[in-house]
Amino acid sequence: MSSSELLRVDGLCVDWDGRPVLRSVGLRVGANELVVLLGPNGSGKTTLLRTIVGLERPSSGRVWFDGQELRDRPTHRRGIGLLAQEPALFPRRSVAANVAYGLEVGRRPPAEVRDRVREMLALVGLAGFDDRPPTALSGGERQRVALARTLAPRPRLVLLDEPFAAIDVERRAELLGDFRRALRATGTAAVHVTHDREEGFLLADRVLLLWEGALVQSGPPEAVLRRPVTPAVARFLGYNVLPGADGPVAVEPHAVRLGPPGTGAVDAEVLADGPTGSERRTYLLAGDGRRIEARRPAAAPSLSPGTIVGVTWTETVPIGAAVGAPV
Amino acid sequence: MTERRRLLALLPAAAFVVAVAIGPAAILLGRGIADGGGIAGLATLLGDPLNRTAVANSLLQGALSAAGAVVLGYPVGLYLGRYAGPRGGVLRAVLLVPFLLPSVVMAFAIEGLFGPGGTVGAVVPAVRALGSGLGGIVAANVIFNLPLVALLTAVGVESASVELEDAASALGAPPSRVYRDVWAAPSLLGAAAGALVTFLLSALAFAAPLLLCGARCYTIEARVWSLDTVLLEPNAASALAAVSVAFLAVPTALYLVLSHRLRVGRSGRPRPPRPIRGAGPCGIVAVTVGVVGVVVLVLGSVLYRSLAGGGSGSGAAAAGWLALGSPRIAAATGVSVAGAVANTVGFAVAGALVALLLGIVSGFALKRAPGAARGLPGLLFAPLLISPIVLSLALATVWGPVVAGPGSWGLVVAAQATLALPFALESLWVALRSRPAGPREAAEILGARPFVAYLDTDVAGSAGALRTAVLFAFALCLGEFTATYFLTSFATPGFATLPVVLYDLQGPGVRLFAAADAVAGLLVLVSLAVLAAVALGGRRVEL
Repeated sequence: MSSSELLRVDGLCVDWDGRPVLRSVGLRVGANELVVLLGPNGSGKTTLLRTIVGLERPSSGRVWFDGQELRDRPTHRRGIGLLAQEPALFPRRSVAANVAYGLEVGRRPPAEVRDRVREMLALVGLAGFDDRPPTALSGGERQRVALARTLAPRPRLVLLDEPFAAIDVERRAELLGDFRRALRATGTAAVHVTHDREEGFLLADRVLLLWEGALVQSGPPEAVLRRPVTPAVARFLGYNVLPGADGPVAVEPHAVRLGPPGTGAVDAEVLADGPTGSERRTYLLAGDGRRIEARRPAAAPSLSPGTIVGVTWTETVPIGAAVGAPV
Repeated sequence: MTERRRLLALLPAAAFVVAVAIGPAAILLGRGIADGGGIAGLATLLGDPLNRTAVANSLLQGALSAAGAVVLGYPVGLYLGRYAGPRGGVLRAVLLVPFLLPSVVMAFAIEGLFGPGGTVGAVVPAVRALGSGLGGIVAANVIFNLPLVALLTAVGVESASVELEDAASALGAPPSRVYRDVWAAPSLLGAAAGALVTFLLSALAFAAPLLLCGARCYTIEARVWSLDTVLLEPNAASALAAVSVAFLAVPTALYLVLSHRLRVGRSGRPRPPRPIRGAGPCGIVAVTVGVVGVVVLVLGSVLYRSLAGGGSGSGAAAAGWLALGSPRIAAATGVSVAGAVANTVGFAVAGALVALLLGIVSGFALKRAPGAARGLPGLLFAPLLISPIVLSLALATVWGPVVAGPGSWGLVVAAQATLALPFALESLWVALRSRPAGPREAAEILGARPFVAYLDTDVAGSAGALRTAVLFAFALCLGEFTATYFLTSFATPGFATLPVVLYDLQGPGVRLFAAADAVAGLLVLVSLAVLAAVALGGRRVEL
């Protein structure tokens, strides 16, 4: 394990009743790094986090944290923070007492606990909320308290399991920014799990793509977007998968052009078409059953469902791992 | 359909409990107090040393039994709720057998196991204190009620937040601190509810004091029976029954409050199966194994004696089973064994059907007007306060003259169904509460009437729980002894059930012990068969 590596996972496998949930997963997380673990529902993201923190037992594989192998170390002695989708606050403790919990069980002096709680509440924008009960908070505020509670004992790594999934869309962007700032301010590394690719690419220093229990792609967001490894991954990343000269290629919806029937590479029927903010989105069904999404300028003419159009595309992204590329 | 009309669905269950239990009991107790000289008469009644002893016995036996059941049942409940996993269904079924057995069989089993001539008592003299007297009564009460404490503790454990537990662990809390901060309170809430119901059922015990000790150990319940049927002082019996209701009001109210809080803890959206937290600490596993061992020993001992003829003195193998066809039994008890089986099954089927109908109809109100239906479980648990002897005395006094003659079998069905109803319905209600509203709303949007939509979605989706509730009601009715004994002895002669025949076979002047052994074995087998059907169906009984 290199000195800059905070977390290292090698060959991690988890089986549930003989069904493989994680298949030989390996990953590295550096100090202060924010890694986003991206994958569709059921791909094993939550199980991977729970195994790292010790809430699930792997059938094989190893986890190292800060140079120490964690196999026989129980959850409460791992020193890794976990923030789940559910804030799970203690209902009968005040906001301040919730934030203080990890410090209390770590037997920190009362003065330090008091100062750290105040600092954490200010960091997550909840200064003055100390004495409120959790029941008096909104969903977003509860999630902020949970983040403050997770960060208060100064873990060097936190695992975030879709913490914004239950938050309204308009509040989510605000929380994303605040979370990123809080993690940076405390110098905490994080593995952030989400199935929302936009959220993932917005936050990540590095993206890991988990697919049916296996890690299929890893790299900076731009690199992952530039080279999806399979047609299914390409679709998950928001591309159209269309026929190319040497096999299927990924096509960004903005690169799709629509014209009269017979003028494009394929003809397709318009299924739905409508404005979405600054652009117009069109869903099409090609003759071979392929579904295509096009994003056009907002001023583009509207198309009635049932209209047949010719489809061309201007730029393509290759599909398949580059030779020698690490996973 | 308005909320008020939905509440009409509560009417059948409420009317049943008021007509069968609360109303007659109120009339009986009112008469008893008025005819007995009012408050001054009550003071005189409590001045009688035998009555005072009965009150003291109820308190002592109730408290000791509750303490014993909690000491043994709490660790078992922790194991069931937290560590048992897929093994839990079978374990619950095994533990519940004693609760479903007639109390008379339990008393019989305790004496046969720990008494001087018992299977264990003959070999280990130190345990003979548990074979009779106060020790025997407490042992019988503890084994009988332990499943209640264990299952209610497990309900509490299961209602604790898994997410909160994970969060506390990840924040560095060791297991002892996680227990203290997350799941100690709900598990202790369950154990306290179990302790209170154990106290109530033990303070009102009838068969155990009667069979294992005699008059010096009579509880209020046994003393009421004695005053009414032996000493022929019905007014004094009614007045003492009024004292027992007052005496039990506080623990009953507390039990209802605690069980309501437990229900609230588990009535939310359906949760994924609770993760199993390892094999469990050695102490908890050891107590669980020990308790299961004692239950198996008790049941095995009854079955062994029924086959070996141990209680008959003859020692002839299976002599008791062969004796079941003897005309001496009918001559001694007023009913043949075949007739008693028919009565027992008939009453139990009728009681289970009453529970089924009332459960389905009241479930509709519970589902569609949950706020207003909040008091329903409390109403159905009112018979706990009334007690089987007071219930049967009230039924015989108020309804007996109305349904005199062949129709009086209805009193036995009414008493059995009233006593079984609250325990049996909980399994159904837990399942109904966790059903999502979506399918029912979709059915209504597609044109189904509200009650039909409820039947097609909620009830159809709870078929397994419905079967469990019916089987549980059937087994509880089958094992009911106290009220059935009272009613079949006086108000409805000729309708004796197997537990009553078992009691009579050991009575003075009869003493057909081998046949009694066989009847006890038969009752154990029936209870095992019912719970095996529940466990094999993949369901579990809820309390």
